[in-house]
Amino acid sequence: MASSYPPPFEGTGEVKEGFICPLCHKDLQSFYQLQDHYEEEHSGDDRHVRGQLKSLVQKAKKAKDKLLKRDGDDRADTGSYESFYYGGVDPYMWEPQELGATRNHQDYFKKHRAARIDHYVIEVNKLLIRLEKLTSFDRTNSDVAKIRAIEKSVVPWVSDSDVPFCPDCGNKFNIRNRRHHCRLCGSIMCRKCMDFVPLPLAYKLTSGTRESLCIPGSPGQSQAPPSGAGASGMGSRRGSLTSLSSVTSMLEEKDDEKIRCCHHCMDTLLKRQLKLEERDHMPDIVKLYERLRMCMDKVDEKAPEYIKVAESLNAGETTYNLDTAGGLRLEVTKYYELIDALSKRILTLGMKDDPAPTPKSLHLQKMIRYTATLFVQEKLLGLMSLPTKDKYEALKEKRKQEQEKKLQQERLAAQESMRKRQESEKNRSVATTNGVVPPALKPPRMTKAGGWLPSADSKKTHSELKDPLLQQIDNIQSFLRQAREAQRTDEVAMLEENLRQLQDEYDQQQTSLAIALSQKLAQEENLQQGEIQRLEARERSEWEQRAPAADSRQPSSIWECSLDLGEPVAGYVEEDKTGEVTPKFERSPLSLRAFPALAGQEESPPRLRSLGGHVTPPSSEGPNSSSLNPFEEEDSTPTEEDPSNPFFEDIQEEHKEVSNGKKEYNPFDDEEDNGGQEEPAVTSLGNPFEEESSETSNPFTEASGDSPGVSTNPFEGDEDAGALADIDMIEEELLLQQIDNIRAYIFDAKINGRLDEVELLSANLRELQHTLQEQKKTH
Amino acid sequence: MNVTLAVKQYVTRMIEDSGPGMKVLLMDKDTTSIVSMVYTQSEILQKEVYLLERIDSQNRDNMKHLKAICYLRPTKENVESLIQELRRPKYSVYFIYFSNVISKSEIKALAEADEQEVVAEIQEFYGDFIAVNPHLFSLNLQGVARGRSWDPTMLSRSTQGLTSVLLALKKCPVIRYQLSSDMAKRLAESVKLIITKEYELFDFRKTEVPPLLLILDRSDDAITPLLNQWTYQAMVHELLGLNNNRIDLSRVPGISKDLREVVLSADNDDFYANNLYLNFGEIGTNIKNLMEDFQKKKPKGQQRLESISDMKAFVDSYPQFKKMSGAVSKHVTVVGELSRLVAERQLMEVSEVEQELACQNDHSSAQQVRRLLRLPGVCELDAVRLVMLYALRYERHSNSVLPAMMEELAKRGVSEKYRKMVHSVVEYGGKRVRGSDLVTATDAVAITKQFLKGLKGVENVYTQHQPLLQDTLDQLVKGKLRDALFPYLGASSLRDRPQDVLVFVVGGATYEEALCVYNLNRSVPGVRIVLGGTAVHSTKSFLEEVTMTTGNISDRAGEGRNLSRR
Repeated sequence: MASSYPPPFEGTGEVKEGFICPLCHKDLQSFYQLQDHYEEEHSGDDRHVRGQLKSLVQKAKKAKDKLLKRDGDDRADTGSYESFYYGGVDPYMWEPQELGATRNHQDYFKKHRAARIDHYVIEVNKLLIRLEKLTSFDRTNSDVAKIRAIEKSVVPWVSDSDVPFCPDCGNKFNIRNRRHHCRLCGSIMCRKCMDFVPLPLAYKLTSGTRESLCIPGSPGQSQAPPSGAGASGMGSRRGSLTSLSSVTSMLEEKDDEKIRCCHHCMDTLLKRQLKLEERDHMPDIVKLYERLRMCMDKVDEKAPEYIKVAESLNAGETTYNLDTAGGLRLEVTKYYELIDALSKRILTLGMKDDPAPTPKSLHLQKMIRYTATLFVQEKLLGLMSLPTKDKYEALKEKRKQEQEKKLQQERLAAQESMRKRQESEKNRSVATTNGVVPPALKPPRMTKAGGWLPSADSKKTHSELKDPLLQQIDNIQSFLRQAREAQRTDEVAMLEENLRQLQDEYDQQQTSLAIALSQKLAQEENLQQGEIQRLEARERSEWEQRAPAADSRQPSSIWECSLDLGEPVAGYVEEDKTGEVTPKFERSPLSLRAFPALAGQEESPPRLRSLGGHVTPPSSEGPNSSSLNPFEEEDSTPTEEDPSNPFFEDIQEEHKEVSNGKKEYNPFDDEEDNGGQEEPAVTSLGNPFEEESSETSNPFTEASGDSPGVSTNPFEGDEDAGALADIDMIEEELLLQQIDNIRAYIFDAKINGRLDEVELLSANLRELQHTLQEQKKTH
Repeated sequence: MNVTLAVKQYVTRMIEDSGPGMKVLLMDKDTTSIVSMVYTQSEILQKEVYLLERIDSQNRDNMKHLKAICYLRPTKENVESLIQELRRPKYSVYFIYFSNVISKSEIKALAEADEQEVVAEIQEFYGDFIAVNPHLFSLNLQGVARGRSWDPTMLSRSTQGLTSVLLALKKCPVIRYQLSSDMAKRLAESVKLIITKEYELFDFRKTEVPPLLLILDRSDDAITPLLNQWTYQAMVHELLGLNNNRIDLSRVPGISKDLREVVLSADNDDFYANNLYLNFGEIGTNIKNLMEDFQKKKPKGQQRLESISDMKAFVDSYPQFKKMSGAVSKHVTVVGELSRLVAERQLMEVSEVEQELACQNDHSSAQQVRRLLRLPGVCELDAVRLVMLYALRYERHSNSVLPAMMEELAKRGVSEKYRKMVHSVVEYGGKRVRGSDLVTATDAVAITKQFLKGLKGVENVYTQHQPLLQDTLDQLVKGKLRDALFPYLGASSLRDRPQDVLVFVVGGATYEEALCVYNLNRSVPGVRIVLGGTAVHSTKSFLEEVTMTTGNISDRAGEGRNLSRR
């Protein structure tokens, strides 16, 4: 019930905790007092107050209804429009519904697309390679014939006689309407249907090829000279080809700055260019948007955490530190500010640019801003504020008082049973109660008691002593002392165990008190009663059973906790259980208690946390926290001795709690550190996104990755066939084309950085070239 | 068996499948209405869908940083637009969803257009209907019949819509239809054909009792859509017109700008959700409560903000407060307008006579009708509606005063168009057409009810009419619906009482029937009924439907058949 304090209008429906005036938030003890309070203080605002009260009651009712899944049938309440069934169906009346039927066409789609894409990719890459060849020599300084020869060598031109009409517009070719060849595909068209690739564009398109082909160490570089080597090498190779075909003289004008091509090739090239541009370009809005989403995610993560903390603090609990909560709040608000700033920047993005953004992108920016505003409104306004320092103190005080009240009630009830217990104990125990508690015993108890509220240590001393469990502990301690004096070792052991159990019990009680204060009373009584009965039963049964066993074990356990006790304890063992009080041993129990008392000063802070209070960070947190804890050491042996001990688990749990408590601090510290580092993290994270998006925004490259790999095999097969087949001119043509194709694949693979594939492909290429050469030789 | 949820889940899945990042939702005219019924703008914005576009819109810009989710009906035009879109993609990735079965050849055409490999997903998500309420859907089709038979395009659209409902709900039903209606039979056969053809799709987990699809014809009950309504949703539709959950309030005198068009959606309007089936009187009380609640909060916000704690409280409750103020002003306006119309058109009086005509077998109500016809306040539509009800009710009565009434109408200056409609309605839903005896059936029920009501004392005189559907479904649920009147299609039949029932009304359902289905769902445990129709009618739209059905074909050709405006 950490959050049971009802924040005024977020009522979780728990009104039981207190009667809080909805106007001044003053806690009043009862409903009647609250009413009186209204009449005195707020009689002027009577109407509202009634409304507030009513709404509180309604809220409680609503919560109850919700819990019971009651259909909102009280129509008088429909003013509160809580929807229990909407639009004609009570959701819980009909079974949960799974997603309707769907059918996926992806495979079929991909199959058909892949066929198409293969074709497309080859076309594009072929064009690019040819374009590169066409631009890789010095155009301006070569004569027309030479250029023509080179151009013709790149792609075989369709013979003029085959094409009497322009394939695009259908006009007949004649002297005036002359044929023009596309330099990229060799096809013929008329002047009107012709296009030009300007050289700058051509360089731009092929630059990707060069860069990717010149990667140092890339296997393609040496093996595939036409695509891999620099411009000079290529020029020389082509030079030799030119001499072969220089017979044809040309009348056409020289194309210095552009390359002739047909519509289709131009179209393909332009698409390619668009793609290249887009791949490298990441609009500002995307960068900003990614940061925005990241902030939103952070808020989604942090805000609930903060709300939890704030609720707890507002309830006056001490589970969290006010400062850490403040830090957390600051962090969250910082994110909100960031979201606001980022979305504002997105809104105004490109507003001042010369070509104003298109209406759609403006709309997009507006919508993003709107969403961010909605987000901030919804989340930020839900953040409750933290109490101020003073107020927090007041809240703590209030809570403390509440708890004390509860404690007092418990005490009253417990004292009854205590008295009975005391009496029975007195009757049975050999020693008499000469009840003065040695002052040396006090300090450890004090820290323990103050554990859940250390600031009140000194003030609380008196009241704390009245706690029934503490009293019992005191009593048992005095019994223990007396038993020691009486040299009754077995009883000492038993009493010590009782003492420990009681202390554990007390610790337990304190922690659980902090968690569940209400209705603890009855349970506690039962528990105590059971405890007492159990103890009594065990006392009776173990009196005989454990007496011999205790003899041997007792010394070691005591030995561990106090060194100076070793000698006297040994003495106990030798002595008979005569029940005589020997004055010379009187000092030993004191020293036993004194040692923990000394150690207690050192170990109190960690101990303190285990008791349920986590407020103050430990002043001296060190290696001694566990080893010096006398209780733990003391506990360890008896626990092993008695596996039926129900507190064994509790002890362990408590240890865990201790460690958890420590951990609870660390994350906050870490987080605050993180908070500082967050800024660089945001920016550095931008990079992976860039990479990712560039990859996805260019599905062309991604998907084409599959195609070469898939299609290498058929070519390999072809190649075998080609080698085995009769060697004639058509075969050579085919080989040349294949070489072209494979080069296209290599190019593609290189662009995408798949080096293994490049290797494979270039091996193929080499083989093909080899075959080609052999063919040439044989001819 | 929740149609709203079914569509919503589809849309949610689409959006989630596309992953994080800015998104645009590309739709066609129909899917825009479909999606808008289940998602509000702010909801869809939260899912990073910032732009909503029409696939056929020309002025979309290149925005490569957006992902596109396409939700389209698989029509020829849409596929063609999509092919064009893929040839020159405007967005980075496309997630394509069709609202119904698409042919392989069209997928192939799309695949071949996708040279840039921008398509990441291509699926069929069967949300091919307008989900009005969780148990009510519509296809927004107007004028589905020509005479007594289907308009072919309407038949195929209705078949698609109905099969998509079945797929969305994962039901492979046994089909029953109304024997007297040829159209019902045709639709039943058409649906069956699809189920057989797409048997792989309809291969759902078998339930103990197979679901049932019952196909009815509007002409069997022409009275229900002619009555004035008094429950919130039905009344709004009748008086203000509810189009895809939107009402146009621009004609309301003195309306503020942001209330010109309001959305009434049970999904995110709690007041509406809780009051949609309540009658006008109850709504009056509830709206008063709502106002009071609001006022209680409001002055507090203004007066008591001096202290810090009050400000804190105000801020804490601010989002709810803001939401509430929107809801309050909306409903206050709507209810205010309704009550203005009720007073202006003397609807209380009119409705009383209507109900009398519809539920009681007493020819003396003719006098009441004639009296009302002479009242100046009664509007044209209401006057005609009364005469129509009389004509339907006492079609063959020996002392029929119909001619006299028609004269009165003419005297009042009621347009010829409306007067002709009286005969059209009789032609559409008269005795000659009806399979089951509408009037006596209702009569028997009504008389018993009347008797019971008499015993109980007060009962609302304005809502005594029960649609014929109530009776049909009652019998169906009890397993007593006669096979002779509602035969099974094919060999299979139900031996047990049905559990999951889908009722489809050819020619359009009404909100009154939706209410009756709602009540049945609530009162009969284990039975789930979903109602659908080619449209959801108000009197006005029903009369249009009647005119289109009975009028000659040339008249109809120019009229728009599709109700959906957005």
